[in-house]
Amino acid sequence: MEGQEQLMLVMNNITKRFPGIVANNHVNFALRKGEIHALLGENGAGKSTLMNVLDGIYYPDEGEIVIEGNRVDLRSPLDSMKHGIGMIHQHFMLVDSLSVIENVILGLESQGFYIDKKSVAGRIKAIATKYNFRVDPYAKIWQLSVGEQQRVEIIKTLFKGARILILDEPTSVLTPQESEELFGILREMKSEGKSIIFISHKLGEVMSVSDRVTVLRKGRLMGTVDTASITERELAKMMIGRDVLFRLERGDIEQGREILRVEEAQTYNDRGIMALDKLSIVVHGGEIMGVAGVAGNGQVELAECITGLRHLVGGHITVEGIDVTNATPCTLVSVGVNYIPADRLGVGLVPNLSTVENAMLRKYKQKPMRRGTFIDYGAACAYADGLIEKFDIAVPLKNAPVKVLSGGNMQKLLLAREIDENPRLLIAEHPTRGLDVGATEFVRKTLLEQRDHGVAVLLISEDLDEILMVADRIAVMYEGRIVGIVDAHHADIAQIGLMMAGAVGAKT
Amino acid sequence: MLRFEKRDKTPVRLRVLVPICSVLLGLFVGSVVMLFARVNPLRVYEAVVKGAFGSAYTFSETLVIAVPLILISAGLCLVYRMKFFNIGAKGQYIMGAICGSYLALFGPATMPRPLLLTLMMVLGTVGGALWAIIPALLKAYWNVNEVIATLLLNYIASYILWYLMYGTWRDQRSHGFPLSKSFALNAQLPRILPAPSRLHIGLFFGLAAAGIVWIIIRKTRFGYEGRVLGENERAARYAGINVFKTIIIAAAISGGLAGLAGIAHTSAVLRILQLEINSDYGYTAIIAAWLAGLDPLVAVGVSVLLAALEAGGYQIQIVMRVPFGIVGVIESAILFCLLAGEIVTHYRISLTRRLTA
Repeated sequence: MEGQEQLMLVMNNITKRFPGIVANNHVNFALRKGEIHALLGENGAGKSTLMNVLDGIYYPDEGEIVIEGNRVDLRSPLDSMKHGIGMIHQHFMLVDSLSVIENVILGLESQGFYIDKKSVAGRIKAIATKYNFRVDPYAKIWQLSVGEQQRVEIIKTLFKGARILILDEPTSVLTPQESEELFGILREMKSEGKSIIFISHKLGEVMSVSDRVTVLRKGRLMGTVDTASITERELAKMMIGRDVLFRLERGDIEQGREILRVEEAQTYNDRGIMALDKLSIVVHGGEIMGVAGVAGNGQVELAECITGLRHLVGGHITVEGIDVTNATPCTLVSVGVNYIPADRLGVGLVPNLSTVENAMLRKYKQKPMRRGTFIDYGAACAYADGLIEKFDIAVPLKNAPVKVLSGGNMQKLLLAREIDENPRLLIAEHPTRGLDVGATEFVRKTLLEQRDHGVAVLLISEDLDEILMVADRIAVMYEGRIVGIVDAHHADIAQIGLMMAGAVGAKT
Repeated sequence: MLRFEKRDKTPVRLRVLVPICSVLLGLFVGSVVMLFARVNPLRVYEAVVKGAFGSAYTFSETLVIAVPLILISAGLCLVYRMKFFNIGAKGQYIMGAICGSYLALFGPATMPRPLLLTLMMVLGTVGGALWAIIPALLKAYWNVNEVIATLLLNYIASYILWYLMYGTWRDQRSHGFPLSKSFALNAQLPRILPAPSRLHIGLFFGLAAAGIVWIIIRKTRFGYEGRVLGENERAARYAGINVFKTIIIAAAISGGLAGLAGIAHTSAVLRILQLEINSDYGYTAIIAAWLAGLDPLVAVGVSVLLAALEAGGYQIQIVMRVPFGIVGVIESAILFCLLAGEIVTHYRISLTRRLTA
């Protein structure tokens, strides 16, 4: 049993219910002073819920929270801040158009009417120097890289006097090198006596950075262990409840004909900044081309250009020799380009329409669903049933809005609908983001199957491990260009990481 | 402490009970206001009910008001589902009345009645539709906010009507009043009940429109495309739906129905073009469409209820010497309660106790 005096925080018997689900089921969690404590679990295991309870965003249905021996009642993030808890969310809570200073003091009650920017800037710099990083207090947030923005978030919480830091999947937006730097900062903080909760589902980084690990599965506590006393494989088993495939079976490449050719593509992003800078890439049938890169280097825009959702201002795109530069999405679908967008509910599916109405989106203009101006909803229903059965999609009610499905089942539905079109080129953008291990395996296997059928697959992912596992070749994107293409079988992670950071140019 | 949790599904029981309770609560709130105005609320409500449903005649007058509401709200149900927020039904109604009246006032006097009336209705519909297509084009090509465009077009339509009524369309024998000459018999849309009832065949237009719009939304490709577009424009574009075309057609249908309402009401009820042609129905219909949850068939019922309040309002003004403003108070009290009721249908509300050790 741990001595009370060294415990920073105890969460006892926390239960939080949402309609139809128990997100946290009598979970206990204890955090020591000066430790990095990883919170591990699949998506939907209840990690974020537990931490949102700690951050005052959710109020638990049962249970108690004790900080340094005192029971506390956390009803808002402000309450939590007062007790020294600071959370760094996966999606940063920063105002893009404001400077670092303005973001740091945002919501600070102690600031008077007049803001003494100079002294704030000094304190920001002091914090930064202490942890060996640099940040310009006067820079606007939008001018900073994602990694720098994350540091601003860290400064923000430290500035407010946080002694407990919660980081929600902090490495998902970083290059391997940036992640290492972050770990350095965390270790420094730990030596200062701060306590850090590190939410992750990546086993590797949990093993390398944490002192102890608490594992959640389906809302329940699986246990807390010393990191030193456990292996990666054992942790995975705790997290998932069964042994996991660390490698996927895959046959050799039979590189087919050239399917996709992008030549010197140029386009702007939504802010009017050049997002693709004369980018060229060729993808063949029967291969999976992985596109690696830090978020925001033009991957999204590349996918949108190829699928007709964004205009090119220069360059050409051909699919099987047909010029499809700036063609409509409709034309692209007819030449066999299908798309699994990153934003499932934003681009792929219509959240408030039913499963049937979503399934029929690609087929409603054709027989048998087309009946003059009318739609044969009976045929649509039958078609949806076919997809549901073939892809084993769990749909409680076919006529309920599709948004009530789990992330995995939504993705299965989307994948089923697109693959049913017999694509020549399949563009998959973060296809496993937010999915549990089972659904992730399914999606990856499906992509490999498509490859084996001779389909050209363009896989855009931030998850390097995924790309290494599935792709045949890896194209690394940096600032709107392909800085290099490497063979996935002989890939060197450090090399790819440097390329992602723009430090190294092309290598064959 | 109150806590709100979003419901996955709303039980049918609540969907029926909540609106009923909301209306009752609204009536209660209205009563409180009336007590301050030193009138007996029970007598006022009695008068409203009598004024709206008391006799075959009063009920038919309620329906006279309901007809334009039904027509307009049917069209609004369609465009609102596509997230095209047309609040310009008032202007489209006026343009419909103007365009249709042109034939009535200046058309060939000898034209057979069915032909003339058909042409008038068609022209009115086209006028309203064109007036709605303008903001749709502005939105499609230059991304102009349709709320502002349609709202401003209301004023323009109003002033066009003023211009005509004080100008070339004014009857020489109107002693300077801004009135057109009365419509000739063959330009009057037939009424379906004996006088003094003014209920006219526009009622059938309304019911047909509600039914047709319901079918469009639920059964046709166009309606499906519209719903996809309204819920998620990016998904619609990716699915190859022509966003411009869909919005423009829907806007035209919505504006056309408002225009038809305008000319039908003018031709059957007023039988004259004047400054006041009850174009505020264009705003009331917005409320009807939303309260009906954008279902055109439900909107028929809601339109009748809103019309009853209005018709009953005239009654209390006459019988009880209560200012017509009281009707506005009742109407808004009911609306507030209905909107508040929405929260109950969509969220589970519970009282939480503080955490115990």
